[in-house]
Amino acid sequence: MQYKDYYKIMGLSRNSTQDEVKRAYRKLARKYHPDVSKEKDAEAKFKELGEAYEVLQDPEKRAAYDKLGTKWKAGEDFRPPPNWDEGFEFKGGGFTGGDAGAFSDFFEQLFGRAGSRPTDRGPHGFHVRGQDSHAKIYIDLEDSIHGSTRNISLSTPEMDVQGYVKVKHRSLNIKIPKGIKPGQHIRLAGQGDPGSGGGKAGDLLLEIAFNSHPLYRVSETDIYLELPVTPWEAALGAKIKVPTPEGSVDLKIPPNSRQGSKLRLKGRGLPAKTQGDFFVVLQIALPPANTERAKAVYQKMQQELDFNPRLSLGVKSL
Amino acid sequence: MNSHDLLPVHTGTVIEDDSLTLEQLCHACGVHADWVISLVEESIIEPEGDDIHLWRFSGTCLVRVRSALRLQHDLGVNLAGIALALDLMEELENLRTQLKIMGHD
Repeated sequence: MQYKDYYKIMGLSRNSTQDEVKRAYRKLARKYHPDVSKEKDAEAKFKELGEAYEVLQDPEKRAAYDKLGTKWKAGEDFRPPPNWDEGFEFKGGGFTGGDAGAFSDFFEQLFGRAGSRPTDRGPHGFHVRGQDSHAKIYIDLEDSIHGSTRNISLSTPEMDVQGYVKVKHRSLNIKIPKGIKPGQHIRLAGQGDPGSGGGKAGDLLLEIAFNSHPLYRVSETDIYLELPVTPWEAALGAKIKVPTPEGSVDLKIPPNSRQGSKLRLKGRGLPAKTQGDFFVVLQIALPPANTERAKAVYQKMQQELDFNPRLSLGVKSL
Repeated sequence: MNSHDLLPVHTGTVIEDDSLTLEQLCHACGVHADWVISLVEESIIEPEGDDIHLWRFSGTCLVRVRSALRLQHDLGVNLAGIALALDLMEELENLRTQLKIMGHD
């Protein structure tokens, strides 16, 4: 078991006041909150922070923790000294109701298991329906286009008969219905938390997100493709083969198309209830002037075309 | 043969837009109806339907209620703050998607 330096996690010194502890928590919680933060491993940091705060915000736990002394280093192998908790009474009580199931072994060794309070589970003798549980799953665009079956693995913290929190892993095969869009939910009846007192189990709600795709991007039910075109295809118009998730189609590029122009292929987006569209965004690619012939063509354009893309900038061209 | 092939395949139901009742939403998020009503009053979530008995919520509401719950529980944000935070987060998300579509990610 590794020693945890709760002061270091919160960026505090050992003689910080309770007010400073609270302020540091608020600030770091905003920084690492999984809903807000884009930092990598924000979730792990947020949990660690919650644990540190659980101890330092409570004068009793903090005093007990301080009693371990300052000679420990974070990550060092830790065994609590005998009778270290003499005179403290905090086991099984005084928890803030944070995500206690996620606290470390270190925390549990010192302060007991916050999860061991069966009263949390609703009154005895009633039929209580289990809670709905939630998970986010990532599917591929093709799963929504054609419909598919995906295997997902879920880890759920569960309480065993003794009231200990254990993480249970399970694996489910799930039917992905055709046309599902990002942000939509699938409800699996009876796959949530088990009920108590003979009550029905809750449901499992799966929020759908899409893996990023090498070619396409999805927004709501619409699919976007960036299509590189040559300057002459954009200028003169052309008929081009473009890929779509359901096979390639011929696309007509109108003459005088501009960089970033959006062309719509109606009804070729996600096959949702309201069928989405497929959008092609033109990206004009310049041929390199790396041969004499290519240079000659550019020079010819320079001489023949009266073209100044900087007219609106208000500076006279040379 | 893959070991996954031996497992049964679960077929769920898709939560269509504006199909959740107040009761379903509360149960799904593990919150009281009173709290959800206060979220509606603050315009944090907007159900379809005029009367409370006719209210229907979307999957997006589900995500917003759960985020709201975490913001209140973890950061002590009040309802007005939650509304502001969620709107800004949504705007940020939209902008990020736009950037992706334009290929600047």
